[in-house]
Amino acid sequence: MTRRKWVRVLAVGLAVLSLAGVRAFAATPANVLVIGKAADPQTLDPDVTMDNNDWTVTYPAYQRLVRYETIGGKGSTQVVGQLARSWKVSKNKLTWTFELKSGERFADGSPVDASAVKFSFDRLLKLGKGPAEPFHNLASVMVIGPHTVRFRLKQPFAPFLYTLANDGAAIINPKVMVHQVNGDMAQGWLAEHTAGSGAYQLRSWQKGQSLIMTPNAHYAGPKPHFAEVVVKIVPDASARRLQLERGDLDIAENLPADQLNAIKKAGTPGVSVREYPSLKVTYLYLNNKRPPLDKVAVRRAIIDAVDARAIIAGILNGEGKPMGAPIPDGMWGYDPSLKPATRDVAKARVLLKEAGASDLKLRFDYSDADPNWATIALAVQANLADAGIAVKLENFANATYRDRLGKGDFDIAIGNWSPDFADPYMFMNYWFDSANGGLAGNRSFYANPEVDQLVRKAAVAATHAERLRLYRKAQRIAVQDAAYVYLFQKNSQIAMRKDVKGFVFNPMLEQIYNIAEMSKSH
Amino acid sequence: MTFLRVIRKRLLFLLLVVFGVSLVTFVISHLIPGDPARLIAGPHASSAVVAHIRHQLGLDLPLWQQYARYVEELAHGNLGVSIRTGRPVAQDIAAFFPATLELVVTALLFAVLIGVPLGVASAVWRDRPIDHVARVLAVTGISAPAFWLGLVLIAVFYGHLGWFPGGGRISALMVPPRTITGFYLVDSLLEGNAAAFWSSLRHIALPAFTLGFVNVGIIARQIRSAMLDQLGEDYVRTARAGGLSRRRVILGHALPNALIPSVTVLGLAFGDLLYGAVLTETIFAWPGMGNYVVASIQALDFPAVMGFTLVVSFAYVLVNLAVDLAYLALDPRITEVG
Repeated sequence: MTRRKWVRVLAVGLAVLSLAGVRAFAATPANVLVIGKAADPQTLDPDVTMDNNDWTVTYPAYQRLVRYETIGGKGSTQVVGQLARSWKVSKNKLTWTFELKSGERFADGSPVDASAVKFSFDRLLKLGKGPAEPFHNLASVMVIGPHTVRFRLKQPFAPFLYTLANDGAAIINPKVMVHQVNGDMAQGWLAEHTAGSGAYQLRSWQKGQSLIMTPNAHYAGPKPHFAEVVVKIVPDASARRLQLERGDLDIAENLPADQLNAIKKAGTPGVSVREYPSLKVTYLYLNNKRPPLDKVAVRRAIIDAVDARAIIAGILNGEGKPMGAPIPDGMWGYDPSLKPATRDVAKARVLLKEAGASDLKLRFDYSDADPNWATIALAVQANLADAGIAVKLENFANATYRDRLGKGDFDIAIGNWSPDFADPYMFMNYWFDSANGGLAGNRSFYANPEVDQLVRKAAVAATHAERLRLYRKAQRIAVQDAAYVYLFQKNSQIAMRKDVKGFVFNPMLEQIYNIAEMSKSH
Repeated sequence: MTFLRVIRKRLLFLLLVVFGVSLVTFVISHLIPGDPARLIAGPHASSAVVAHIRHQLGLDLPLWQQYARYVEELAHGNLGVSIRTGRPVAQDIAAFFPATLELVVTALLFAVLIGVPLGVASAVWRDRPIDHVARVLAVTGISAPAFWLGLVLIAVFYGHLGWFPGGGRISALMVPPRTITGFYLVDSLLEGNAAAFWSSLRHIALPAFTLGFVNVGIIARQIRSAMLDQLGEDYVRTARAGGLSRRRVILGHALPNALIPSVTVLGLAFGDLLYGAVLTETIFAWPGMGNYVVASIQALDFPAVMGFTLVVSFAYVLVNLAVDLAYLALDPRITEVG
């Protein structure tokens, strides 16, 4: 072949390729929603998974007795009935009786009845995995009538109703038991199938590639808009962003701040970054058990020396809100009168001097679990240096890191926390009850008998007003005791195509989309 | 029979390797501080729930008992159940390994198809432009990191030009071919599904190029030096003097001999590619072992990590066996390999 011939062949080849390309790259169809995820779900069994990444699929596939209410187009932490029509609680707060709606059906057409509810909770407790945790108080579930079911608690537990909106409280079709293998309660099967009464069910799962959900033909609610919801696994963040910009994805999850900023700056047509205040907070654990951090004045000095506002501005690009107390804004119990600390290095120095703790050397442990932690650690190191505290940074693999946290082998460490259910219990009782020292929640190993009393009472108190009063009081004492450094509650940012309509963000449901009500306009 | 003896010896060796690898990975993975039960119980779990899960997984047993259990299961061909996904590890590997293998084989094929002619050409036209081009390619291939090359290719050929898809193994809206070999390219052809074949081909093009590119240079350099050795040999001169055409001498006599040492390079390249696939898979959203094993390591999913290591070492030993058998077949003078 002559050289000219080669060039011609090459040119024709390229032309064919580019033509083929143009055809294949139309945007996703209007009746298909494509969500781009960083990682494959692990298991789809609602009684096993503790991961929001899995809940993207399980939450819309199952219904629960109650759901979070949308008020004025915004997600709230209040609950209303989903499968439950109404409920009553006994005077002693130990039995809860639910009346179920009729006409609700599982994806195979069988009705959702009281025995299905009993089956689901029995299974949850028998498996006893992570999702069973909020139900440690549940003694038994009884079928009273075909549409009446009663829960009996061991002790009164005020947040009980809110725990029923959890992913783990999903109502599962009892027929899954035909798939039981070796007494596994059908865990093997439910790990990769869905069997709920939600608007969508899983149709297929190409591992590591994509999951396709299609409408449940027996769903009692209004017919959903999308014929297919595709969850596509795209591990690399820049590839995810590119696919969103080219219209191959409608929603791109988990984009790091720099990619989100690039999208905002570039103003790519058709793409927007939506921001919502979340309940995910980032805070520092101060090891209350270990000298010199066992002194309130030393902890106070650290809080005064840290510049949370500068961290929010410089590291989060302003996408966060400073906090003055453990309960974040958006959760009931939030106390706006507890203002975020303002930086005061001089005061910090005085406090340290008074405590006889000058020339302090402390260790700051962190891991790579959150990409912002390393930068925050550097900022804190610089902040504390101004107050005369030398900080040594130590980066660990996350598993090792958590192991050390559990053992209390650290001075200062960093963590994120988001609530499992919409109740201040998730913050106050976990963070401050001295019985929860370590990984169980009280990562600072804070211990104050008065606070123990207050939060334990608040967990069982009869009225909302009483609970509010107790939590407010406990919160004030804990803030005075300088148990933690409250850094910020972070905004949740989601990059979507502009034609995606009807998405309602709920701070309790990160990575979960109300796909039954969403649509696309062209 | 030399072939049979080599195979028998190697299979025995394989058993030893599997045992050694399983012991070493088991010990290492259990020395890592951290508790998989905690990881799957969620960040807010109480110690009671964690203890319950530890018990269910048998993590509360002494280490030697856990290993004995593992080996016993292994002897029955059972790789255990993944802590993270709750599925049998063998099933997970069966889902992910073919994708990795398809990518690696395609990348290797690509590297051979470009690398061998390039190496021959640069030996024959030594110090001519083609030789310089090959040298530049080799240096670029070795020094350009795969993740960088992959991102550039995606940005140009997907982001700007839109000629190739941005990732995945097949279009997300398309039903993959039925699993026969596990290779989409082969299975779609066997099924006679042209659309699926075309989609798979377009999806594998960029990742296979990225992964294979490093080896194009390595193979070209290896073939070049082997060819130069052969071209300097007496038999080549004799053949030339005997009136054989240049092309016949080069392709018919020198090349087959030059290929023998290159087989070793190919075997080594295969191992490199398996390892290099981890990064390439992440960038191209290729649903293979790479992503699976990284997620498993992060979740301290011991059975999954061990299953992966065993399967890869198995593949590695088998490839080495194939290399040695190829030696025997290519050169009848060799009667014994190590």
